Parts: sequence; C-alpha cells; structure tokens
Amino acid sequence: MTEIIVVTSGKGGVGKTTTSASIATGLAKRGKRVAVIDFDIGLRNLDLIMGCERRVVYDFVSVIQGDSSLKQALIKDKRVDTLYILAASQTRDKDALSEEGVKKVLDELTAEGFDFVICDSPAGIEKGAHLAMYFADRAVVVVNPEVSSVRDSDRILGLLASKTLKAEQGNGGVKEHLLLTRYSPKRVATGEMMSVDDVKEILGLEVVGVVPESPDVLSASNSGVPVILKEESTVAQAYEDVVARLLGESLPLRFLEEPKKGFFARMLGG
Amino acid sequence: MNKAADISRVPVIDIRFGQVGLLQVRLRTTDPGAILDELSGRIATAPQFFERTAVCLDLGPLGRQPEASELRPVIDAIRRAGMLTVGLAHGTSGVDELSKVLHIPVLAHFRAQSKPVPVVHPPQPPPVETLAPALMHHQPVRSGQRVYARHRELVVTAMVGAGAEVMADGCVHIYGTLRGRAMAGAAGEVTARVFCQEFYAELVSIAGVFRVFETIPPELEGKPVQAWLAGESLNFARIGG
Repeated sequence: MTEIIVVTSGKGGVGKTTTSASIATGLAKRGKRVAVIDFDIGLRNLDLIMGCERRVVYDFVSVIQGDSSLKQALIKDKRVDTLYILAASQTRDKDALSEEGVKKVLDELTAEGFDFVICDSPAGIEKGAHLAMYFADRAVVVVNPEVSSVRDSDRILGLLASKTLKAEQGNGGVKEHLLLTRYSPKRVATGEMMSVDDVKEILGLEVVGVVPESPDVLSASNSGVPVILKEESTVAQAYEDVVARLLGESLPLRFLEEPKKGFFARMLGG
Repeated sequence: MNKAADISRVPVIDIRFGQVGLLQVRLRTTDPGAILDELSGRIATAPQFFERTAVCLDLGPLGRQPEASELRPVIDAIRRAGMLTVGLAHGTSGVDELSKVLHIPVLAHFRAQSKPVPVVHPPQPPPVETLAPALMHHQPVRSGQRVYARHRELVVTAMVGAGAEVMADGCVHIYGTLRGRAMAGAAGEVTARVFCQEFYAELVSIAGVFRVFETIPPELEGKPVQAWLAGESLNFARIGG
C-alpha cells in the first residue's frame, strides 16, 4: 500500500524542501520505494537539493498534460536506488496543476508499487499547497520556533482538518506530525526563541522531531546532497530519528540542549 | 298557422330574473367516496340548512380539467348527501365543454378559483419545549477556522488557536486554551457568557459588546476565566480560587 505524505508549512523558508529531500532519502535508505514530488510549480528547488537539476527533461506538469509518461519523468536518484524524483516545471505556473491531474499521477505511482510518495508543498495556502495536501494520508508540518511560523502552521493544520480528501470522507482525517526545524537551544535558553514545549502547547500537537539549526543544511543544499546523507551532522541524525518515528519507532527527542563543550574546547576556547 | 290564437293565449310560463344565494362546493378531489363522507359530516351539523340546497361546483382547486365521466359520480355523491348540483363555476373553456356534456349550466357569476386554495390545517398544538443540544466540538479550532453554534450553546473540548473564532447564540464554553476570539450571545442574548480554561483571548464579545486584549491582564492570563455582561460593561473574572 502506498502512503502519501505531504510536507507543508504555510510559511516559506522554514525547511520544507530540505525536509522532503531528507525524509524521502531516509525512507529509501531503509529499503522503501519512495517517490518525491515537487509541487512548487514555477519555483522548482527540490531537484537542486537532490542534486539532479541537470537531469530534468520531463516534469510533473508534462506528465499531467500527457506530454510524457510518468516513467520518462521520474528521475532515479544516483545515491539511493529505490528513490525517484519528480521535478516541478520551471516554465509553467501553478494553474498547470489540476485535481484530476494530480490524482492521475498519484494513482499511477500507487499502481507502480511505491511505498511512499512525499509531496513537497509550496509555501502559502493557494492552489499548489492545496493540491499537495489534498490526497495525503499523513502530513509533516514543518515549523520554526517563532510566532509567525507557528501561526501559519496552525492555519495549515486547520486546512488539513477540513480541506483534504480524508477530512471530507470523514474517516479520521490526515494524520498530523509536527516537525520543528532550525531549533537553536542556545537562543531558547536566552528567551529569544520559542521552546519545543511552547510550540507543542500552542499547536496542541506532539512533535515528530526537532532538527537543530546548523550551517550543514546550507552547505549540503549548495552541494546538492540531501542533508540526511551528511552522517556526521546533528541535522542528519535528527532527520534519521524523524524517519524512524514516521515508521513507528519510538525514540527520545535529541538535540534539545546546547552541546556541552569538552574539556579541551573549554580550555582553548576560553 | 294559427299565430293569432297563440298570441291571444295566456303564456304558460313567465321568465323572471331573480338572484339567489348559492352554495359553492370547491373540489380538491374527484373521489366520490371522500366527498360523500366529508359532505355528510358537514351536513350533519345543520341538516335543515343543507337540505336540498342548490350548489355550484368549482373545479378550480383541482388544478386540472376533470373528465365528464369523472364528474358524474361526484354529482351523484353530492345528491346522495342531500344537495343538488345546479351549475359549474365559470372557468376555462374546458368547463364550457363539461357544461354541454353534463347538461349543467355554467354560472358566470361564480368565477372558478384560478389557484388551488390552500388547505386550512387545524392549528397545531404548541410544540413541547425541548432542549436544543449544545454544539460539541472536539477538535482544536485552528487559525482561520470559525465555529458557530446557531440557536444554542457551544462546547469546545480542545484549544482555540490565535486567529480562530468561536461563536454561539448562547454561551461559549472552552475546556482548553482560548487564544483566538470568542463571541457569546451572537444574536443579541445579553445573559450569554464566555467560559474558558486558560485565558489568552484576542477578543471577547457578548451580545455585540466586545473587548480587544492587546495585552492580557496578568490576573487573568492563563487562568480559568468567565466573561459576562452587566448593562453595557463587559466583565471578566477568574473562576474558582
């Protein structure tokens, strides 16, 4: 059975695409067959983060419009062989997406026997975001620990509870997961940033993971590698935990505290 | 022939113009049994009044043109009830046709009703007072969502997020955190109240009297609070200790 997971947030720049790339790669590393779709038509980024931008010939829109087959448009990842990328079109606008078209592609991916389809939602609450979440079974709501991101996530959670196929059918709705990204324990300690508990309380949801703020994310993106593959990074370890939790494992949250400086670091750092 | 003789004779008839009061029977059915039942019942209340009275049939309320064969049993039923059909109320050209076939005159004085007459129902007994069940909402009310309990109370068993709105014509009860807007007595009920378990509201309104909380008074913040209206002033107080 294929599970459709939307990665969404409402607000832009919180780490949706980074999260989509890392979750998709993490699931595929565990042997799952995964397709990750970029719904941000006109502003395609996922292919850059995944490092396959030069291999995009056909895309999501060309499949919907029948200009290419799904097989032609799916880009096979070079690092993990059960991972496929369906890029967004850079030359079209978001009106190129339609509910029937999206359904057709998702049905075809289901028929192909994929275990997971990850939908990387654009920011906002308009058509692209709506279609990315509409057919989802689960949602990963990416939130930064600051007020506007939390507010936008609340709005998105409201839409997930009302404007999705699962909600309309009334059978339990979309399963929601809250993912905190760009978390800085140091700034939380000084009161500059909201804590995990603040966010959990405001949104009334448990978190599926906390990803620390780290320069590794930027360097991974720039080199076209999903950050989960930078194994020495705390970000990668946090995403590995998220993937494990999505698959039903229960792990304690990590990286909520400022890493303690070692003896030598303290001596040398002063 | 012997025209002169005829003229000299006393006429065997006189024709005089006279006005009579005439009962109208408006038909809503052509079922003779039903008509007979109904007429017999009515006549039993005042037998002398209806005894061998002349009636005029009004076919308007039927809403269609009946066949002559359909009307004969009706006329028969009326006669058996003790009344005599003497005319058809003036109406469409179809009525003229029926008049020829049934040998009953069309009475131009009586106009058939063009629209079916509404059936007058006996007044319904006043409804037994029942309790309108409160609207129960068990999911969090998120930013941008709005929940309205019309003509009843609203009970929310989860949180109400910032930018969300909960409204009721009755009271609003929130067993959770109120960060958004709560409006009780939305249709003007001044005795309605707002209750919440943890108070961080943006706005509270009762019967249109509202207060915006730019900053939340420290004695109310995060506490169980109720709000009520006294005259024109909106009051807030902690519930319990």
